[in-house]
Amino acid sequence: MSVFHRIVRWAQRKSPWILHFNTGACNACDIEIIAALTPRFDLERLGVQLKGTPRHCDIMACSGPVTRQVKDRLVRIYEQVPEPKLVVAVGTCATSGGVFNGLYNVMGGIDQAIKVDAYIPGCPASPQAIIDGFAKLIKSLEMSPQPRTTAASVTTEMSPTAQGTVPAVTAEEKK
Amino acid sequence: MADSDRVVTVPIGPQHPALKEPESFMVDLRGEKIDAVRMRFGYNHRGIEKGCEQRSYTQDLYLVERVCGICSYSHSTAFVQAVEEIAGLELPRRARYIRTLIAELERIHSHLLWLGVAGHEIGFDTLLMYTWRDREQVMILLARLTGNRVNYGMNTLGGVRRDIAPEMLPEILKVVDSLEERTKSYIELAQTEQTLIQRLSHVGKLSKEDALRLGTVGPTARASGVDRDVRRDDPYAAYSDVSFKVVTADQCDVYGRTVVRLGELMETYSIIRQIVKNMPDGPIAIKAPRRIPEGEAVSRYEAPRGEDVHYVRGNGSEKPERVKVRAPTLANFSSVSKMLEDGYLADLPIVIAAIDPCFSCTDRMVSLRDGVSKDSRTMTWEEVSRMGIRWHRDRGLDFSGLRIRGGAGA
Amino acid sequence: MSDEHRAVAASDIEAVAADLQSKFTFPEGALKVQRATRLWVEVDQGSFAEVFDHIVKNLGFSILCTITGLDLGTDLGLIYHLARDGGIMANVKTRVPKDQTMKSVTPYFAGAAIYESELEDLLGARIDGKPPGPRYPLPEDWPQGDHPLLKDWKPKTVPGEAKPSPEGEKGAASNG
Repeated sequence: MSVFHRIVRWAQRKSPWILHFNTGACNACDIEIIAALTPRFDLERLGVQLKGTPRHCDIMACSGPVTRQVKDRLVRIYEQVPEPKLVVAVGTCATSGGVFNGLYNVMGGIDQAIKVDAYIPGCPASPQAIIDGFAKLIKSLEMSPQPRTTAASVTTEMSPTAQGTVPAVTAEEKK
Repeated sequence: MADSDRVVTVPIGPQHPALKEPESFMVDLRGEKIDAVRMRFGYNHRGIEKGCEQRSYTQDLYLVERVCGICSYSHSTAFVQAVEEIAGLELPRRARYIRTLIAELERIHSHLLWLGVAGHEIGFDTLLMYTWRDREQVMILLARLTGNRVNYGMNTLGGVRRDIAPEMLPEILKVVDSLEERTKSYIELAQTEQTLIQRLSHVGKLSKEDALRLGTVGPTARASGVDRDVRRDDPYAAYSDVSFKVVTADQCDVYGRTVVRLGELMETYSIIRQIVKNMPDGPIAIKAPRRIPEGEAVSRYEAPRGEDVHYVRGNGSEKPERVKVRAPTLANFSSVSKMLEDGYLADLPIVIAAIDPCFSCTDRMVSLRDGVSKDSRTMTWEEVSRMGIRWHRDRGLDFSGLRIRGGAGA
Repeated sequence: MSDEHRAVAASDIEAVAADLQSKFTFPEGALKVQRATRLWVEVDQGSFAEVFDHIVKNLGFSILCTITGLDLGTDLGLIYHLARDGGIMANVKTRVPKDQTMKSVTPYFAGAAIYESELEDLLGARIDGKPPGPRYPLPEDWPQGDHPLLKDWKPKTVPGEAKPSPEGEKGAASNG
């Protein structure tokens, strides 16, 4: 890996900047993402920050299912995010369309439109699961020698909290 | 000053109009003031009503619950009530009490969420952090009672699916006591902090006459003096058994909408205490048929945002013939333009946030067209929001350093 | 409701029903009091305007909750869900052949425009006199003449798009 890529990888590991894209479905996952940033969970202490623009983000956190009218915009924003980039599908709808799968205006999960690197299931994905998912993703970046690769094997452990969190899985494990 | 204030000099965000994304807000400007706003909804149209016809009533419980991620219990209950009416089911009293309890706990989380979002929109992120930290008490409680923080899966045809264990009742009261103290400090803030009062007053004005004419619902209407609340006017669940005040205000502005929601929180704490004190024994559900007879019913429910209306028609099968959902935000759709007319663009974000819309604003595109200069621009919601915060900060309304009483360690 | 409230509402709704019976002639079963706060009245297209006007203007039903549209085969069914202070609802039902135009009720209720947009978009209703505005709820590029809530409507797949999984099979497979 070149020096440049090592630096970028280090920056991503230490303080990934997240772009939050929501397709506008029920918004429960979006609220849980924001909740993950509030005092009880405080995702920011892991260095994670929400940034508004695609140009400056490392990770796209997408919530909600892909509807017909949102697909193009999702793809275009994805194209604006510079490499190396990662995409996280937050919530069951972003993973597979969830309970809306099969409705006439819903095409399915985020991977109907763009490549996804990690899936965080849950309806909604709880803040604990979201933190767990991002922590695993960041850890998997450390283990991977190339930028923008699917993660090497990462063990899936049950989150220690008792509140019905579901373990996050990487794209490899989903297959 | 005037030129650097003009919105038209703010750079366009990366989401350029070429993106084919329909703008959700089309704003006609006269300099810094708004002439008119047209809103485009339907951004998150999924096809739920059709989906309901294709699935069984039980499956529809789970689908309808997810119309909205904040008032999910409102939709679930409004739906199941209509079905129960068609089927002629008489619910056990304990089931109705449990539904009321969950409904009011949902109101707490929703109103605290709103307070935080409103704070964020005016640049008062401290309020967001405090209210959402407080809100966690209710989220934890709801997860303990129902198994999930949102989308509780509590309703079944004929009652509720989970009972409330007796040892949980004092836990519920502890949360209510704690949040009541926190809410009092927010009320004190709203009553005494001049910058806040100034920022929110005379903004987003909607006269009582217009509120009535346009069919406005919920705290938005009540802040314009409209004395309507489905819990009192057309009671459901156990609301006939509890006494509470319908909170209204006369300010007709965003400040009024704030004050009404805070007042409603206090009433909700009282309702929950009554429910807990008088919780009847008995079964939590009666057996319901899989096939629902031919017939129709309309169910009304006072969701945190306002009146939620569900119509259901049965055809004798396991699947409904028709399900119609009218969420409260749709009823408030036509009042938004009125509220924004002749106001400042810098106030657009908080005015829209104040109707507590059932869509996430943050991803919305705003198109601005200046009638005088003929300039037009597209901005993201966030850009308009930040511009509004800057605009007010330049006029001395800065909340970034504002303190809230009783925060640390509370 | 409290017994007192129920008594008031009950007598209210009986008064409304009695008033309607005295002013208009309804066929057997067209006027129903379902419970203390629910009244249903079914009228043919010809009488609709007059009955609607009376209920709104003279009986104080100043709230339009929403308008439900139904596919009844050759006709579209319409239900205007009206309410008034005090909690009573008067649900006014009518039907109109699918290719026929009906008049907008926006002169009575400014907020009705969005409910009428839903009828146009999802069921193909033709409404005369609705103020112009963007369509709702379907997206701008949804084809004209394509109305998903009609019973015989089938989702189309656009080339290159993933096919949504068939609803029928899905429903049968999972536990009802």
